[in-house]
Amino acid sequence: MATTTSVAPETAERSQPRSEGQWAVVFRRFRRHRLAMISLAVLVIIFIASLLAPWIAPFPRDDIGLNRVALPPMSVDPTNGRLHILGTDHLGRDFFTRVIYAARVSLMVAISVTTLVAIIGSILGLLAGFFGGWTDTLISRVMEFVATIPDLPILLILSAIMIQNADLIVLPSWIIGPVAWIMAVPLREATQVTLLILVLASLGWVGVARLMRGMVLQVREMQYIESARALGGANAWILGKHVFPNAFPPLIVAFTLGLNAALVSEVAISFLGFGVQDPTPTWGNMMGFATSYMFNHPWMPLIPGLPIFLCSLAFNFVGDGLRDALDPRLKI
Amino acid sequence: MARFLKRPAAMVALMALIVPILAACGGAPAAPEVVRETVVVVQTAEPVRETVVVVATPEAGAAGGAFTTPHPILGDPKVRQAIAYCTNRPELIQSVYSYLTPEQQQGLLMDTNLPKTHWAVATEADGIVTYPFDPEKGKALLEEAGWTLAEGQTVRTKDGAPLTLEFTTTNAQFRITWATVLEKQLLDNCGIQIIRKHAPASWWFGGASGLRRRDFELGAFAWVGEADPAGRTLYACDQIPLPDNNWNGQNYMGWCNEAASRAITAANNTLNREERIKNYKAFQVEFTKDMVSLPLFQRLEAYGWNKALQNMKPDPTEYITANAYEWARSDNEDTIILGFTQEPASMFTLVESAAVQRQAAQLVGGVLTTQYSYDFQPVLQDGLATIESGKAKNEVVEVKEGDIVWDATGAAVELKPGVELVNSDGETITYESGTVKMNQLTVTYDLIEGITWSDGEPLKQADLELGVKIACDPDSGAVSYTFCESHQGAEGVNVTSDTSYTITFLPGVQWPTYFLAPYGGYPSHQTVSDGRKLADVPAKEWATLPEVAETPLGYGPYILKEWNKGQSMVFEANPNFVLGEPKVKNVIIQFFADTNAAVAALLTGEVDILEKATLGAGPEVETVLKAAAEGKIEAKTDASPTWEHMDMNLFVR
Amino acid sequence: MTTYLVRRLFQMLIVTVLSAMLGYSLLYLAPGGPLLFLQQMQNTGQNRVTEEDIARIKARYELDLYLPVRFTRWLIGFPRGPVQIFGVYLLPPDTVVGCAIPGQVRLRYPDGTVEIVEEGCARPVTLADLEERRTSRGILFGDFGLSQQIARDRPVSDLLMSRLPYTLWLMGVSTLLAILIGVPVGIYSAVRQYSRFDYAMTTITFIGSSLPTLFMGVMAILIFSVLAKDAGLPYLPSGGAQAVRDYTIPWIGRVEAGSLLDRFLRFIMPVSVLTFFNIAGWSRFVRASMLEVLRQDYVRTARAKGVREQLVITKHALRNALIPFVTLLAGVLPTLVAGAAITESVFNWPGMGRLLVDSLGRSDYTVAMAILFISTVLVLIGYLISDILYTIVDPRIRLS
Repeated sequence: MATTTSVAPETAERSQPRSEGQWAVVFRRFRRHRLAMISLAVLVIIFIASLLAPWIAPFPRDDIGLNRVALPPMSVDPTNGRLHILGTDHLGRDFFTRVIYAARVSLMVAISVTTLVAIIGSILGLLAGFFGGWTDTLISRVMEFVATIPDLPILLILSAIMIQNADLIVLPSWIIGPVAWIMAVPLREATQVTLLILVLASLGWVGVARLMRGMVLQVREMQYIESARALGGANAWILGKHVFPNAFPPLIVAFTLGLNAALVSEVAISFLGFGVQDPTPTWGNMMGFATSYMFNHPWMPLIPGLPIFLCSLAFNFVGDGLRDALDPRLKI
Repeated sequence: MARFLKRPAAMVALMALIVPILAACGGAPAAPEVVRETVVVVQTAEPVRETVVVVATPEAGAAGGAFTTPHPILGDPKVRQAIAYCTNRPELIQSVYSYLTPEQQQGLLMDTNLPKTHWAVATEADGIVTYPFDPEKGKALLEEAGWTLAEGQTVRTKDGAPLTLEFTTTNAQFRITWATVLEKQLLDNCGIQIIRKHAPASWWFGGASGLRRRDFELGAFAWVGEADPAGRTLYACDQIPLPDNNWNGQNYMGWCNEAASRAITAANNTLNREERIKNYKAFQVEFTKDMVSLPLFQRLEAYGWNKALQNMKPDPTEYITANAYEWARSDNEDTIILGFTQEPASMFTLVESAAVQRQAAQLVGGVLTTQYSYDFQPVLQDGLATIESGKAKNEVVEVKEGDIVWDATGAAVELKPGVELVNSDGETITYESGTVKMNQLTVTYDLIEGITWSDGEPLKQADLELGVKIACDPDSGAVSYTFCESHQGAEGVNVTSDTSYTITFLPGVQWPTYFLAPYGGYPSHQTVSDGRKLADVPAKEWATLPEVAETPLGYGPYILKEWNKGQSMVFEANPNFVLGEPKVKNVIIQFFADTNAAVAALLTGEVDILEKATLGAGPEVETVLKAAAEGKIEAKTDASPTWEHMDMNLFVR
Repeated sequence: MTTYLVRRLFQMLIVTVLSAMLGYSLLYLAPGGPLLFLQQMQNTGQNRVTEEDIARIKARYELDLYLPVRFTRWLIGFPRGPVQIFGVYLLPPDTVVGCAIPGQVRLRYPDGTVEIVEEGCARPVTLADLEERRTSRGILFGDFGLSQQIARDRPVSDLLMSRLPYTLWLMGVSTLLAILIGVPVGIYSAVRQYSRFDYAMTTITFIGSSLPTLFMGVMAILIFSVLAKDAGLPYLPSGGAQAVRDYTIPWIGRVEAGSLLDRFLRFIMPVSVLTFFNIAGWSRFVRASMLEVLRQDYVRTARAKGVREQLVITKHALRNALIPFVTLLAGVLPTLVAGAAITESVFNWPGMGRLLVDSLGRSDYTVAMAILFISTVLVLIGYLISDILYTIVDPRIRLS
């Protein structure tokens, strides 16, 4: 539901070729959306903080202390007098430290899933829309097929298979290595995260593909495409030169909103225990633990909840701002 | 077959979809090249083929020697003991049950495989070894075993190999929490590194994976203790799951200690409690000395109930509904609501064994006996049918070839040369010829007089006969008929009156809990919707009948009036209950999606009782205890019979 | 158009079957399954489980049949036994369709160790055996079969029907409310783009869609049920569709269990949470659509002609802005039936989403597959409808 409604609006938008300096115009328009600007700033701050986590974190990531469990925010450790800005979790680990480390995993998953989704989705959507005929029929049916695949059982099975045969699925080290490094997780976890990313991406591209196909179907009928055809343009040339640029703006918006969807998926999956596991923190698994303590410490789920909420909100606003900014008919 | 062959096939199909994508980037693992030559050597009555495998690569040959090579680290008892000394168990308890007082936390600690309050538990006075938290002792043991800590290192090594062990358990939050602490303890205190692997329970406890395939180094899970300690399948030498016994047994550690094995087998082969205690204690001494499985702590269980309720009897080994007929309310309400997080699949007890079903069944069917405090008490049964009471006798009989007997593995067989059996002296022997002396149990079970079905019809001989017939009919849908086989089904049961029956067990059958009446009755007079009498309906159809599966007739304290699937079960007091009509007119079981929702309902007064299976021992318990401390509700915690432990696999694959 | 429809419906059938096939095999691939409990009790003293016992239980769940056979029996109720035409067997009774007891092979390795593995079949299941079994007519013909775990041996359709009204009611009302609130908000935000109202509404609706429903739900219970009750204020019951006994709420008085008031009080929280979560989707869609239309030439022409602004908006702009909106409605179809698992769990609502999660958790494959199948069909119907609506909305797109 959420994805249908958040992606579909772009199908209504239409665009035309742009003149030089269009990005300057877009940015000028984007700046007018104040909330989007603020959101962008928030995202940048969170992103930088997560990258700098090893340097700005006040405590070691997995520093357990059973004499300081579930301390509320801004409280002081009774034993050594150090301040826990966001309090501590059920094992006495510093929440602030874990939240910024967790951002690495959560944001990385969101970004990679969305990028993959955008690539797969737009390629298939372009092909389906542009060539029509049996290509369209085939791709459309595949899209419908993928859309009906239940993701929960798939994830359940995959997580079991991963544990059963840790080396059944071998991912090349040039993928795992950087993933492990960026997310600051051990190699085994990196494999798991990578698989999670692949699964989410392979189930999530339908929305973008449908959007792309819809766009192309509309653009294809425009007169300038017909004239390009009449001029004897090759398919690839028409695709790359005319169709894709026109379909690009809504893709950017879909990308931003897709980031949000992917972030929420990661949270939900880790929350259910199929994703990355403690002690490697992610916002999802932190949330999972915190919610079970929420009757006694109602503030606890707020700690991982807040960054999820902020990012989600920010993605929404930025997407909204981009949508407004990229609308070609908006002449300012 | 469908399950065992088709599943891998489908998995291959799925992999076929995924692997090429990945292989394109990295390549799949090289499969070991094994040439299989199948030669049929023996063709016996049972279709067992003997296959000879010619292995091309010498390394792959090691697969044959499964579980014969001692584990390089855990094979050494010193290391195992060191792990025990380096584990700060009170701190593990604190990490999950921080809301308990230190004394209560101390009460959960276990030193052997039995809870401290069990009648067969051994103490230090009996000679068991205890492992209090003592890192110095642990470190000394490790040094002795050759594991040393190099300067500036955190993990010990021996001949260059690090002291690293894989630790497998489920991905339940509760286990992740204490395992996180354990990981830190072992590393910080003693330089032992564990790599945690939290698997889905379906894999860890699955049929062909995890524990059952001994696929672990250190493995943590829980056993559920019972009033009868049993334990033979867990610790005896012949219970080690191996590829060549088709993975039978639950001795996952691969632990074979002759003395311990003998003791636990002997304890399970006698009906004399003194004798059993002696043997169980001897077993526990060996068990703690070898340290193959570190008992960590008993889990906590909690109950919360409305202050207006009276005569609640929460107990670790009995369901709270067992005394429902005594419940009362001090206010003028006439309803008690129980909250559950699970819904029974069926009221037909033979096909469903969930705790919630048992409790609903106790309301409708009453209880013949109870097991409060790790012991047994009669309720609708007229006294326990023990040997001492004269209702049972355990006689020595002579058996000869051709007789049906109970063999050493626990199956009914015709006696012929080669059969292994336990003779009357408690020795396991192989039958060759002639006659052998075996113990034979004959037990007479009496029910109390005056039991009446809730429709007013008295319990009759035909009802008891129907009870035995259905319970022993393989078409009824039950899982196991071992008990039926131990007395040859209806053949071995003689219903002598409306309240009494005698069971003659096969020679060799020595059930430790023989004195509990195993069968109740079914209402043979009841008419089902299509006009047939229940007694005439074949067992195959029973599970599908609404009269059996949804609103069964019983002789318990309550009548099941209505079952709104997914929401609630409504019970009404049975005016014909033999021990008198219950004081509280209605009992309702309400279903909740999760513990949080149930606790919220308890706090708002929408639910009156949350029992152990629903409340569990998670952080919600703290909420309930807090509310109890403020005087809003009543609450109680108990050391659960379920106990967490860490098994150490003594061998490598 | 007709040929297009016929072709699409035919393709839909194929996709449905393929998707069902995948879902079905996935479920059986998942670890666990109905035999899990068996293996757990296999070796515990009194409950020794024999090969016979396992074979019997497997037959009960049809696990002794090969997956393709199991699948066709579930899908179309075939085969139910030997197939015979004019006295000639097309599929004779001794056709093997499964294996009741797997064969065991002893592997002897060169180093003398022995391993027993399961291989081949000791007792096959044949078509003749199937005749004695219960066979459903097949899910394609509307027979969902019997539940395996959740309501053992009772019809799945009973189970679904006991949940469906609650799900339809909850999802229907919350979707309707989300539209009724979201559409006007979207229109007004578009007309007054970047006004204070626009910013405020954008923020509020985005907050709704950014908060996880689980979190919103538990917080709502904590505040409106637990804390409100503790404070002696009127409170909302924490969950369930209806009470099982009467209760008293301050200021309101005694509420009778199962009464309209009782049901209403319990409906408020779940429906509000879901509505709040969904408003953003609708209002943003309408806002974007409206913004676009407002910049169209004909709207400008209308304005230039001096038509009153209000009339321009309602008559010229709104009507056109809402056309693409119709295509969205088709996407709502599956969610109306599939429900919202998390919200239902938090508020203990007896809906389909919870049933699906339960059935997956307890390996009740017939129930899980029934729900997945229904939602597959609805998703596909939704796609078909929205594709058709596209062409109606934008005549330039041809159906081909």
